[in-house]
Amino acid sequence: MGQETVNVIFQPSGRRGEVPKGVNIIEASRLLGVDIEAPCGETKVCGKCRVRIEEGHFEKYNIHSSMSNVSEWMEEEEKFINPENREKGFRLGCVAKILDDILVFVPEESRSGKQIVSKDARDIHIDFNPAVRLYTIELQKPTFEDKIGDWERLTNGLEREYGLTGLTIDIVALRTLPGTLREGNWVVTVSVWNDKEVIRIRPGRAVRAYGIAIDVGTTTCAGYLCDLTTKEVIATSSLMNPQCKYGEDVMARITFHMTTPDGLKRMSDDIIEGINSLIEKAIVQTHPKKKKVKKKKGEEGPDEYVEVIEEGVEYLRITKKDIEDVTIGFNTAMHHILLGLDPEPVGLAPFPPVIHHSLDIKARDLNIDINPSSYVFTMPNEAGFVGGDNVGVLLSEEPYKSDEIQLIIDIGTNGELILGNRHKLYSSSCATGPAMEGAQLAYGMRAAPGAIERIEIDPITQDVDYRVIGHDKSRKESKPEDMKVKGICGSGILDVLAELYRSGVITMTGVFNKKALKENPRFRKNADTKQPEFVLAWKEDSSIGQDIVITQKDVRQIQLAKGALYAGCKLMMKRMGIEKVDTVKIAGAFGTHVDREKALVMGLFPDCEIESIHGIGNAAGDGCRTALLNKTKRDEANWCSRNVQYLELTVEPTFEHDFMEAMQLPHMTDKFPHLEGVVPDHVLNQGPKGPVIPK
Amino acid sequence: MSTQEEILAKLKEAVVEYEEDDCSDAAQEALDAGVDPMVAVLDGLAAGMEEVGVLFDTNEYFVPEVLMCADALYAGLDILRPHITLDPDTPKASVVIGSIQGDVHDIGKNLVKMMFDVAGWDVHDLGRDVPLEDFVEKQLDVKSDVLAMSAMMTTTMMGMKKVIAMVKEKNPECLIMLGGAPVTRDVANLFGADGYAESAGNAVSEGIKMIGRLREYQKGEIQ
Repeated sequence: MGQETVNVIFQPSGRRGEVPKGVNIIEASRLLGVDIEAPCGETKVCGKCRVRIEEGHFEKYNIHSSMSNVSEWMEEEEKFINPENREKGFRLGCVAKILDDILVFVPEESRSGKQIVSKDARDIHIDFNPAVRLYTIELQKPTFEDKIGDWERLTNGLEREYGLTGLTIDIVALRTLPGTLREGNWVVTVSVWNDKEVIRIRPGRAVRAYGIAIDVGTTTCAGYLCDLTTKEVIATSSLMNPQCKYGEDVMARITFHMTTPDGLKRMSDDIIEGINSLIEKAIVQTHPKKKKVKKKKGEEGPDEYVEVIEEGVEYLRITKKDIEDVTIGFNTAMHHILLGLDPEPVGLAPFPPVIHHSLDIKARDLNIDINPSSYVFTMPNEAGFVGGDNVGVLLSEEPYKSDEIQLIIDIGTNGELILGNRHKLYSSSCATGPAMEGAQLAYGMRAAPGAIERIEIDPITQDVDYRVIGHDKSRKESKPEDMKVKGICGSGILDVLAELYRSGVITMTGVFNKKALKENPRFRKNADTKQPEFVLAWKEDSSIGQDIVITQKDVRQIQLAKGALYAGCKLMMKRMGIEKVDTVKIAGAFGTHVDREKALVMGLFPDCEIESIHGIGNAAGDGCRTALLNKTKRDEANWCSRNVQYLELTVEPTFEHDFMEAMQLPHMTDKFPHLEGVVPDHVLNQGPKGPVIPK
Repeated sequence: MSTQEEILAKLKEAVVEYEEDDCSDAAQEALDAGVDPMVAVLDGLAAGMEEVGVLFDTNEYFVPEVLMCADALYAGLDILRPHITLDPDTPKASVVIGSIQGDVHDIGKNLVKMMFDVAGWDVHDLGRDVPLEDFVEKQLDVKSDVLAMSAMMTTTMMGMKKVIAMVKEKNPECLIMLGGAPVTRDVANLFGADGYAESAGNAVSEGIKMIGRLREYQKGEIQ
């Protein structure tokens, strides 16, 4: 009888596996390659390894997770976990021993090796026309001759000075009006939303107003805090979507709603909490850093902090109340879940959304903690699988204003495609799955220190050189112990398929080229899984004591994803009646990290000139920011959402055939003249049995 | 003139190597040489597909290769099938198959369908995005021995449960087979199904395993 094992799933990383029953959560995290902070070395004194045990049945993993599936609560934990959090399922990872299946959520602060989310704001041109504008006005004090009400006094003044008519005021703002007028000695600055409604009144003269554009992805979320008076991006923040624990893709989330009575509310509450912490993380950057005051010996009481002010730095000290406008872009399912709209129809063909049009919702109605009278603008949806995030891509790239035919590929958990120009625009989506983001691969991981981000394989010796995040030299220029490899992240995954193919390690069908690899120690059959695998980094390069490999199954997963994207591109081109496109743009969390040559080598899209391929980063987030700073873009967004023709790819008669052909490298039948000279001839023109590697 | 063994080997190889033309030629050769067409189908074409299933399970072959093998198999089957004469006393087994409402994926379903075609069953393919009631209606109409449903999305999978309940209520004898990426054995059990195939690949291997059982079925060994 072997050792008894239990199933453990770590979120948000999605790492899962079996571990021996009775090990603690920290130990399990090591076995499964998840990083949890444990600076005290599991001596139960630092409290850094706080994790949450999720309660309930998780269809996606087919496990029932419960707090009672770990060992009993211990006194040491009380110091770090208050009763409220204890109730929520928080435990210390070094204390709680795993007795049965569990799903563990590792909060951001407990993760070591913080994720590098490449969702930086790009420098794009935005016309300046914000929805929230400031008007400073001086009013006459009321007298017996002029005893008109405060609000009418204010609107009369705004009409006289600025020509604003027909204004209304939010009740919460109105409540502050009498006090603010008198506090400012009849000089006030009002924030007016869309020239329609007063949403904030401040005493005296104020010159700054802030807003935040938020990109809610299925896996990662990003916030861009902007100055509404200068267009400047002041701070960016990011976090993993807290809904990841309910499943990696939108379908799993929708299923969670369908199978759990309060599932929709739980997911909605989670993402609202996430958005609030995103805002918090952004504004905290406008304050000086804080340092804990050392206590004197024996001194009791709560910790105290002092500000560490850096010289020459101007601190804006923005508070939540200073955020006066929010725009949110997301896919349709995330949109529905956040707003508490039933997402079930979006999960079933023909996938109609509840609403296409954008919405202006009071922040307080969504429990988003900013200036309470402000509105949240939600980007409009194109279709069930193409939401406001894709509208964001359209807004930032404006293919509808170009003569060139552009192909825009947004790679996420769901792939979204746009094709066209000023005359005609198509959009579509395809299920790429989480493989390209590192999930579900044997050694897939987030973009964090220790992740392989670049790979080169020698086409003659099939030896591997690579780079990892957090180390500035390649493997060949470093000592093995400096590499500290843990896994492979999105940009590395895009590289790896291209390099395996270009070097002849795999054939065009994706199978390992056994003949060529006969003598190569990197190629082997895994003794446990019986799977063929190829070693990317040897054990001595790694910080987890294991060879980092790519398995035949991993290759297949990436092929599925790339095949879906290629087939999508091709079907759209067919529909449009074109053979080639002028420009290819690749967007996504790793959009700017894409090696364009390798993207073409792996056949992510049909053949084109390498020079016409561009990485455009997080275009969805950029579009959201455009809508924040230029309100005419909001109308444009609504126009886009109804004027881009959505193609449901899977019902196209040739989809199955195109998908099948596109799974091969770079493609089963399509020619790639632009790869001549980039990929060796014996590989590019290989026969049915794979390339013969010249000695 | 090739021997029966050689012809069967040719059929098998043509399927495994996904050579459509070779498969048609070998099928014609089998007929010309007087090989029992049912034997040619089962011990040639199906045997080849069985090997394809193994190659798929070990990740040696992938979906494109399997689909091309299927094309080759159909090329041979189209030639052989008209010559298969069944014992009129033995009723032909039948299956109702389709992808469930809300689901437009049918690669896996088509592979499973192929297995029934190979075995000479009466196949009632309802296609994809099939309304739940249509499964029930068709099953009751043709009184099929098997009802096979596929779902590729977790959201659509839930519909299977309803169909199973409706069919089992009216016709408890009908065997129900489920397939598709999100369907696990536990789900199949939970929904009250009789069999399941985890993926297109498992559908292939499960389907292949089924052929053995089907042959016995046809010979009247299982009633």
